[in-house]
Amino acid sequence: MDKEVDGILVAAHELKAPLAVLRQLALGLPEMETSGERMRSEMVSVSERAIKQVNDLTKIRHLEDGLFVMEPVAVRAVCDEVTRELSYLFSHNRRDLYIKYSNKSKLVTANRELLYSVVYNFLLNAMHYSGEGTRAELMVKDFKGRVKVAVRDFGPALPMDVWREMKRGWINKPTSIAMRPGSSGLGLYIASKFSRAMGARVGAVRHRDGTSFFVDLPVSKQASLFSDDLYN
Amino acid sequence: MIYIIDDDEIMAECIARACKGEVRIFSNAIEAMNGISEGELPSLIFLDVLLDGPDGFTFLNEMVSYPDTAKVPVIIVTSLDLQGWDLREYGVVKILHKDTMTPGEIRECVEEYGG
Repeated sequence: MDKEVDGILVAAHELKAPLAVLRQLALGLPEMETSGERMRSEMVSVSERAIKQVNDLTKIRHLEDGLFVMEPVAVRAVCDEVTRELSYLFSHNRRDLYIKYSNKSKLVTANRELLYSVVYNFLLNAMHYSGEGTRAELMVKDFKGRVKVAVRDFGPALPMDVWREMKRGWINKPTSIAMRPGSSGLGLYIASKFSRAMGARVGAVRHRDGTSFFVDLPVSKQASLFSDDLYN
Repeated sequence: MIYIIDDDEIMAECIARACKGEVRIFSNAIEAMNGISEGELPSLIFLDVLLDGPDGFTFLNEMVSYPDTAKVPVIIVTSLDLQGWDLREYGVVKILHKDTMTPGEIRECVEEYGG
């Protein structure tokens, strides 16, 4: 099958899943004995995730036109914002999120929106693959003049072929549904595309009890001319 | 006891709400097999196909390989197009499509096959 068509089919399958969930939630509403507040939150959360995924896919098209700005971005602030947005999902799915910031460099050269999506997709992936009651870890640290943002999960090990592809620096297309069971890899594909567009390096580390995905970004030289306080 | 095996937790809860009976939700096949190994034989299983770890078909193969679990009716709940597939040999009594199924259909399955 044509690679592009294959990719579209995989993306379509992944985007269909939240719609099917929304439909079930809506069908269940009339039978709710309580106020339905929990179901309402679930519907909002599921639709927001689906909208975000569609927006990200649309953005991939614009990447090719170079329609995004590279600027100094406060990496911790972006990570804080993503974790705030996903905190409901983590607690709903009974996963913990451990955050460790050890970077001294505060600003990186990136596009804020794209970096947000990269961290968001990494964390969503980690939540999905870390078992119930376990945790995902978000770490930000300095690494050879760059800042590395890594997300570790405690799920099944990454298949060797995908790891090799990640080692090359990017994922070419959303791969088969069995990339990691239950996933099309669409989120990682988006993260990979966005990272590459920002000139950042994306990669994966295989652990025996899970996987870490990371993106490393150049420290903003422009911003280093200013006082740190300006960005605190 | 009805088993629901689906890695999409919200979808699993939707099915559980529709069942209106005693259910256990599992996010993967291994946990479900462990539940059975502990001596609990479900009266009915709602099974998703694409799961973390072993998929639904692997689970079905495991089920039919033991005399007791081979008799447990299984309803496949999937978004894959399995129209025309005959999985009766694997204990599959019905295939529900996630895109079109309703809480009513789920309840009908429980009434018809749930013992």
